Amino acid sequence: MKKLIMVMLALSLFVPAFAATEEKAAGPKEFMVYLDKNAKDNHFIPSGWMGDYGDIKMNDQAADKPHAGTSSIQFIYSAKKAQNQGWAGIYWQNPSNNWGNKKGGFDLTGMTKVTFWARGAKGGEILQKVMVGGIKGTYPDTVSVEMGPIELTADWKQYTINLVGKDLSYVNGGFGWTVTADLNPEGCTFYIDDIKYEADPDLKPESKKQEDMPFYIYADRSTAKNHFIPSGWMGDYGDIKYDGSSKEDAYLGDTCIKIIYSGQGTQGARWAGIFWQNPANNWGNVDAGFDLSKTIKLTFWARGAKGGERIEEFKVGGIMGEFSDSDSATIGPVILNKEWTQYTIDLKGKDMSYIIGGFAWSTNVDNNPEGATFYLDEIKFE
Amino acid sequence: MLTTTRKALHSIWMKLNSNKNRIKTRDGSQLKGEPSPKKGQFTFGLRTVPKIKTTGYRLIWLVACSFLLVFILSNCNVKKGVYIQKLENKYYRLMVNGKPYIVKGVCYNPIPIGSNHEYDWWSDPNKPWIVDGKLMKQMGINTIRLYQTHEDSNEVKQVIRDLYNLYGIRTLLGDWLGFWEYPCPFYGDKKFQDKVKKQVLEMVNLYKDEPGLLGWILGNENNYSCLGQVNPWSTPEVDLEPDPQKQKKMRAQIYYSFINDISKAVHKIDPDHPVGLGNGELIGLDSANQFCQDVDFVACIIYRGKTFGNLFRSLRMTFDKPILLAEFGADCYDAYLKKEDQNMQAFFLEQQWNQIYENLGDKKNGEGNCLGGTIFEWADEWWKHTQDSPDSWKEHDTGAGWSSGSYYFDIRAEKNMNMNEEWFGIVALSPELENGINKRIPRKAYYVLREFWKKPVIKKARNNKAK
Repeated sequence: MKKLIMVMLALSLFVPAFAATEEKAAGPKEFMVYLDKNAKDNHFIPSGWMGDYGDIKMNDQAADKPHAGTSSIQFIYSAKKAQNQGWAGIYWQNPSNNWGNKKGGFDLTGMTKVTFWARGAKGGEILQKVMVGGIKGTYPDTVSVEMGPIELTADWKQYTINLVGKDLSYVNGGFGWTVTADLNPEGCTFYIDDIKYEADPDLKPESKKQEDMPFYIYADRSTAKNHFIPSGWMGDYGDIKYDGSSKEDAYLGDTCIKIIYSGQGTQGARWAGIFWQNPANNWGNVDAGFDLSKTIKLTFWARGAKGGERIEEFKVGGIMGEFSDSDSATIGPVILNKEWTQYTIDLKGKDMSYIIGGFAWSTNVDNNPEGATFYLDEIKFE
Repeated sequence: MLTTTRKALHSIWMKLNSNKNRIKTRDGSQLKGEPSPKKGQFTFGLRTVPKIKTTGYRLIWLVACSFLLVFILSNCNVKKGVYIQKLENKYYRLMVNGKPYIVKGVCYNPIPIGSNHEYDWWSDPNKPWIVDGKLMKQMGINTIRLYQTHEDSNEVKQVIRDLYNLYGIRTLLGDWLGFWEYPCPFYGDKKFQDKVKKQVLEMVNLYKDEPGLLGWILGNENNYSCLGQVNPWSTPEVDLEPDPQKQKKMRAQIYYSFINDISKAVHKIDPDHPVGLGNGELIGLDSANQFCQDVDFVACIIYRGKTFGNLFRSLRMTFDKPILLAEFGADCYDAYLKKEDQNMQAFFLEQQWNQIYENLGDKKNGEGNCLGGTIFEWADEWWKHTQDSPDSWKEHDTGAGWSSGSYYFDIRAEKNMNMNEEWFGIVALSPELENGINKRIPRKAYYVLREFWKKPVIKKARNNKAK
């Protein structure tokens, strides 16, 4: 009996102490990026304007139907390419204008997701991507996660960026978005509200879902269906002109891709090409991409301006880096016809479970001494 | 002697079989009414056998005979020579004199500091392979790969014999198949074919009876010539074809048919060693599947950083032959930070061997088609970066010759040039001489792989998970 009393006594001392420790370890459950204008809980500033920053107008006290509180932030993107970039975006930073050159940011360890609310003025506006972290520099963010494209609805909708398992020990770029002129050729107006980090203990790490087919690389210029960005310019990149919204006899829809390769050898490589990547400029250094295990082939339509243009290689996958594509497949050399012709890259038996380099072409000056102009359309996995 | 042994074995066997009342059923239960094994009995297979109470001579004699029995039984059905066994589950394994053999090898080209590839190391009186072989054995290496033999066959035999007799290290012998002949290898030309074939068969005839020989490797990355990427060649028929894709296919058909022809001829002369097809990546193997079925394995040259990716499965889908990773590895110079980084090399090599082991024939979770690998390479070669300048052969150049994003630690080097050809050795060379040759200094990878081979623990890592 004496023993039992002693145990009970010891437990009565330990249990409150243990509970206090638990509570302390739990920490805050929310951390605001932006709540309302001048809200004391706002921790980041929308100061990092990027790309065609001249195309952006921001109203941070838009009283027109805020999701909560008294205001939301309205963004108007004109798509006029004021800085000739074709895209624009804003990062919420701490302190303001911190591109990794100052020590700032927050240790957000314990948070598991970012949520935000967004709506388009009309519905159908497309955010190319939203980001958490990813600012580099002397004091780089420890995390870089992207999500998109997102096609907005006219009504408020909440979106979640899963951060389970990510290193949030230093976050300066608390949140960000980008839009492109290709995806919003007439510009767009959209609203964002209530951006916050949350600690959700029940949230599981995001696993890649197997994408359904067809899965587009390029369908048309203004569609959220385009899942890869033609960002990986290779070799004599100065020899390439890329127009993702050419209206010169598109195979399907309003637009197609027009590529002019001058063959001048601007960088001295004597060849050039473009990789469509996810996210942009991912040479295997970012853990991203798609699980395309359901695909059995990639098809695309192509034609030469004159006919007879020679493309050395069309390719799927094959980017090698810290996070390499799980496989690769090629066709080529291909001599283009003047008429639209469909080509197929057979992917049967390939491991397409992790693809960051969705599509690529390359050609060279030896086989196109006068350069080459060619068109691509309807590039998709089936 | 043999008769006496047979009699003794027969006697033991009869004793064992005479205990019929102790026979168990197949499912292990005892026959009805039969007693369980008691103290003083033990089970032997399905039988229960009394412990024979005996001492002294009888016991020794019994033990000796048992060992002899095991030895004879294990050797009576042993297939001699080196061959590849296809298991029931379609997995492959390399067998040497009836025992499974994992190739734990290195590419070997011991060029001393200050010399280039023309150096005749075979006739070096200091016999560098003696020092190297000892270090190799201590590490656990059991195979070297030689790209090409030497004109003096006695010297070649001496190297093979020394390595085998002193250290048990076997040799894979190769031939370039005229790949570097000026102006290009004319694989579509009958005279050229005959010359190359004759050269290979001479090699086979000379060395096929060497006990230290493990097998043959035909070519290295010669398939790239079919694509027109390296040493391009053509034929009048190919030139007539307007479609460049069909041209590639035609060249591949010519090349792989030729290899198949050589392979058949080698098998005729030497049925005791497997023939490998040297191949850059898996390129062209769809054609090999059609025209080159007589090779025994593919000897692939692969530089993919920390992962071979889908290599093993992809090979099974396109050309179902076992694979030897005949050239792979990592350099140990960080071209971005401009300093030696042995950790980087050790990291990549350990990852690579992890996947090699994962895909061996005796592992359930892999593709079961890997025979092992020969790392590129044993020791640094100081002549490789600036080949035309003899002065630079005395310098350990830090220039990079090519770029690969899969070796990502130093990919931010200028123009992304991060692959340093003179720094691929798992053993460094010192200008200091020891036993008349450049002193060998094992790098971290040497020790990491030594420990891995001693106790290979396969870490199941997803292809794209970060380290």
